[in-house]
Amino acid sequence: MGLLEHFPALIPAVLLAIAFLSPLLFRWARKVSAPALIASIAAALIMAVVLLVQYYQTGPFTYYMGGWPPPWGIELKIDLIRVYMLLVILAVSLWIIIYAIKDLEHELKKDLLGWYYSLYALLVGSMAGMALTNDLFNLFVLMEICAISACGIISIKEDRACLEASFKYLILSAMGTGCYLLGVAMLYMVTGQFNYDLVNEGLPMAVELYPNNMLAASSLFIVAFGTKAALFPLHVWLPDAHASAPSPSSSMLSGLVIKIYAFLLFIFFYQVFPRPLLDTVPLNEIVLWLSSLGIMFGSIFAMVQVDLKKMLAYSSIGQIGYVFLGFGLDHNLAIVGGFYHLLVHAIMKSMLFMNAGVIIYSTGIRQIKQLGGVGHVLPLTMVAFTIGSASMIGIPGTGGLISKWYLALGALEIGRPIFVVIILISSLLNAVYYMPIIVNAFMQQEGFQFKTEQVPRSMLWPQVAGILAIIFLGVFSRPVVDLLEKAMAQFF
Amino acid sequence: MEMLTKIVHNYYYMAAILLFIIGMHTMLTHSNLIKKVIAMNIMDTSVFLLFVAIGYTYGGQAPIVAENSEVLYVNPLPGALMLTGIVVAVSITAYALSLVVKIYRYYGTVDYDEICLIRSQE
Repeated sequence: MGLLEHFPALIPAVLLAIAFLSPLLFRWARKVSAPALIASIAAALIMAVVLLVQYYQTGPFTYYMGGWPPPWGIELKIDLIRVYMLLVILAVSLWIIIYAIKDLEHELKKDLLGWYYSLYALLVGSMAGMALTNDLFNLFVLMEICAISACGIISIKEDRACLEASFKYLILSAMGTGCYLLGVAMLYMVTGQFNYDLVNEGLPMAVELYPNNMLAASSLFIVAFGTKAALFPLHVWLPDAHASAPSPSSSMLSGLVIKIYAFLLFIFFYQVFPRPLLDTVPLNEIVLWLSSLGIMFGSIFAMVQVDLKKMLAYSSIGQIGYVFLGFGLDHNLAIVGGFYHLLVHAIMKSMLFMNAGVIIYSTGIRQIKQLGGVGHVLPLTMVAFTIGSASMIGIPGTGGLISKWYLALGALEIGRPIFVVIILISSLLNAVYYMPIIVNAFMQQEGFQFKTEQVPRSMLWPQVAGILAIIFLGVFSRPVVDLLEKAMAQFF
Repeated sequence: MEMLTKIVHNYYYMAAILLFIIGMHTMLTHSNLIKKVIAMNIMDTSVFLLFVAIGYTYGGQAPIVAENSEVLYVNPLPGALMLTGIVVAVSITAYALSLVVKIYRYYGTVDYDEICLIRSQE
């Protein structure tokens, strides 16, 4: 055994270590700094796969940081849904950084690259930690690391839009963590524990004794995670932040950072809060309606945008709504759909932002109106854009269909067909704003002039990988769905 | 009357919540960016206050355990954790202030309404 049993702690540790080394490597051994980052994320990914294998052999297991058991020490927990989240985070971030290396050289000042790698590794490391941790206060620290590095990868591109956007993001996410910590204080007051499982054991009695406190605490958690994941009325920071950031940062923020908080809300609903609390307070119902509103309004806002990246950012508000919709419906099929959408959206939205990045890299155009005919200049990119959009709409053969299918099945299963209607309407709305771009890009035959720049290969290959991944998820959905159904068996 | 005695007995919780609301309100409504950062600190500090208050036991001593002693100790855990919380709050504040400095350099103002005005004119 030896090293193998320390893998849960090593995954975040490797990434945090490379975060400290990156600036130094960039200074003294510039050539190896980017490969070192890629290698360490890949190493973390391999460790996560080993954890998955280990899970299948032994079932869920825990890891005590520093060898201290729960009431005193921090506990990391490995169960199927967390390993799934961990794999999604590491695989997608590895894919984005391979694309990012060349794009960043174009978008950032040369000497800032090392710092960017550092922030990137911190972000991935903190998200991996958040997926694994089983301790409320440890989660708070990781959330702050994540917030500060997420703002960092926006504000590193020093222009006025980025600075203003990242300040807005920082303030609202500080509000989120403030609410989170107050909620934790309320849980600690009644249970005297920070460990998820011990809090869960203590809470049923607390709910009976102090129903109002628990109501306040749970609403604080919804506000905290809702702000950070851009649940509908709390989404105001997202469009500016995601649109003004450098394209790899946009991919990362839209693809993963908002997802991890949605995942945390799930963990709180099903692992921390006991069932009686969910039954007395209609938390699921609140999330359900907010996410439905988000799905509709995100798409409606996206329609009126003139900037390509801003349109993609508003589309994220709608798409994160699907993930929350799954949790809100509170049925295992719907939650499978939500988690499947979490993976599919992480891939397709990252790829769409990559496409936008390639378009900006090559032609320097951000306005949707001027994109007519761009398909003739950048065929591969626009094909990838088409596949990504098809998946957003939910056309058969793409991953987007499968997640919507399971969400709809879940909604029908609990007898609320109204949400199927919402899913259908929002798919049509998605078609309304994605289709014109594609049609114009390929059909417009004349009247366009682009000054194009050669796009490096390492920016093109990740798009091919993205296309393959989306189609694979659309055609062979069984392995992932099986994994998720097995993971859900633990909660229902 | 019962309500009133409850409030008097738990005045530190009330103070913490009041501070939290003051901080949150200022942070979200004031247009001055520096005030937003200060309000963020007030909000964080209020939660630290609440945590430390939770850990306190009436008549408790500092938790330095001597052998064979039967005295009451205060709970050291919230205090220790809040030290971490303070460090986190400090780093967030430092980063926020550095952003404010940069914003001032680009826009020539730290007032959010004026920044919006400048951006809308672009």
